[in-house]
Amino acid sequence: MTAVIEASDVTKRYGEVLGLNGFTASFEPGITGLIGPNGAGKSTFFRLVEGQLKLDSGQLSVLGNPTWGEGAFRRRIGYCPESSAMFDWMTGEEFVIALLRLDGFPKAEARERAFRAISTVDLVSSRERRLGTYSKGMRQRLKLAQSIAHDPDLILLDEPLNGVDPLGRATLSALLRDLQSQGRHIIVSSHVLYEVERLTDQIVMIANGRALAQGDLHRIRDLIDAHPHVIDLDTPDPRALARTLGTLDHVVSIEFPGPNQLRVRTRSPDAFYQALPDLVLQEHADVRGLRSLDDNLDAVFRYLSEGGR
Amino acid sequence: MSISAPRYTSGPLPRLGRDSRVMAIASREFHHRAQWTVLVPVTLTFMTVVLTTVVNVFFTSLVGTVTSATFTAAVSSPAWPYLMLIVTATVGAGTLADDVGSRAITLYLSRPVRLLDYLVAKTVGCGGWLLIAALGPGVLAVGITAALGYATATVALEAAGGFLVVGLLAAVFFAGLAIALSSLTNRALYAGVTIFGLVLTLDIGASIVAGISGNSQVGYADPVANVLAVAHQAFSVSGTSSLDPGVSAAILLLSGVAMWIFAGWKLRRVEVIAE
Repeated sequence: MTAVIEASDVTKRYGEVLGLNGFTASFEPGITGLIGPNGAGKSTFFRLVEGQLKLDSGQLSVLGNPTWGEGAFRRRIGYCPESSAMFDWMTGEEFVIALLRLDGFPKAEARERAFRAISTVDLVSSRERRLGTYSKGMRQRLKLAQSIAHDPDLILLDEPLNGVDPLGRATLSALLRDLQSQGRHIIVSSHVLYEVERLTDQIVMIANGRALAQGDLHRIRDLIDAHPHVIDLDTPDPRALARTLGTLDHVVSIEFPGPNQLRVRTRSPDAFYQALPDLVLQEHADVRGLRSLDDNLDAVFRYLSEGGR
Repeated sequence: MSISAPRYTSGPLPRLGRDSRVMAIASREFHHRAQWTVLVPVTLTFMTVVLTTVVNVFFTSLVGTVTSATFTAAVSSPAWPYLMLIVTATVGAGTLADDVGSRAITLYLSRPVRLLDYLVAKTVGCGGWLLIAALGPGVLAVGITAALGYATATVALEAAGGFLVVGLLAAVFFAGLAIALSSLTNRALYAGVTIFGLVLTLDIGASIVAGISGNSQVGYADPVANVLAVAHQAFSVSGTSSLDPGVSAAILLLSGVAMWIFAGWKLRRVEVIAE
């Protein structure tokens, strides 16, 4: 299978700051999730892919083409930026038409395409309103509309689910699958794993400008599961609870970060969460709070970037 | 929100060329700037130049002969360069700053649009208003006076040529100034204030330094003095400026172009700002 995007040792600097640092990854056809914390280099990677930035070193091939300097090639790419970069004085329809005109579409064709794309994201009734009056969710949908209106082969969506309500997320997912079924390739960036795992099993994880892991979501999950999961518990008698939890074979370590706190590291969070209620009942333990510190993926990224892969 | 992606007809699509894409941006920019903040100073410029010129030509025709020098009244006073300065600040300050500030520039450049195309288009959009303010009033005044019979066709043509030269040079200089200063910030207000402040400082500063040092050559650092020197020459008014009009014209032209090139260089580094 030919990769849609092939990145080999790609480095991009902003002066002293490294945007991408030897990024190597292969994006297969279909939908791929680009997962990484804020500042990981996701937007830099997208802007390199569409030729807005020139890479400093390495090789980057998109749909079999080099990217930098290939102006006409950008017609094959649809880009939905993360920022709410818009022209607030325009109406939604004018906005999409204006960008289609930059693709070289004649006015009539641009108007027709804009209407279809706006219909796709269900903004027809708001298309004549000024963008300044759009909500964040509406802006996201309109940005998506402009990214698909010119019928691109590859669609880059930078944090497209930000600000979209749950219903919008579900329908957006359906739309992306529909686009995929039409042969489009889609890369969706996010800093939240669960947002993307509903869309695809193909994941590339990025942090500090490097690809940390790539492949099937289940393989990535295995990597994450190999990383001890940290859970904080609030209890008036942490030492008693520690004695109970210490009997679990998947518990790696126990700490006492505060007078009424317990920090547990476990190699199997699922088994821990399953066993905890029974232990609490058996030992009459008083557990008043529970927080999984690893709910935030930053901890996993740190673990992988420190050599966990 | 519906769940079906749009279906488009397959096969080669009709796409317009590079010039059409540039004009699409330029046209959008031009229309976007048509706001009262721009229309008011442009209208003021028209009223000032047309009224001053027509009235001056009318009274001159009553008592003597109208020549091309008669038409210089409006543009050889400092009022005209300052009105142009206000138009420049209101039209040009946001030309690049608005796009960089909102990061909308990434949307332009995600299309098959080169940075150079973008810069040219933005300059055309902004420069269109500057040309209207710089050339329009003079040409209109010449047309009115010729139509009313206050000036002969030959004199009217000479005067129109004068307005053309001065207007074009002023438009080049002020467009370059606006684009350059707009590229330095992501806030239009800062660019606008800087445009006004810079020219005002050069105008007043050069006068003070020239007065103290007794060196009139310092006047070449003053854009307003350069515009006036060219205007005097273009309308055949002699002996009123200590600056060489040729040198002044060259300074206006070259500095306008140089500032535009600077903006292009600065824009290449916009990735750092936008990131």
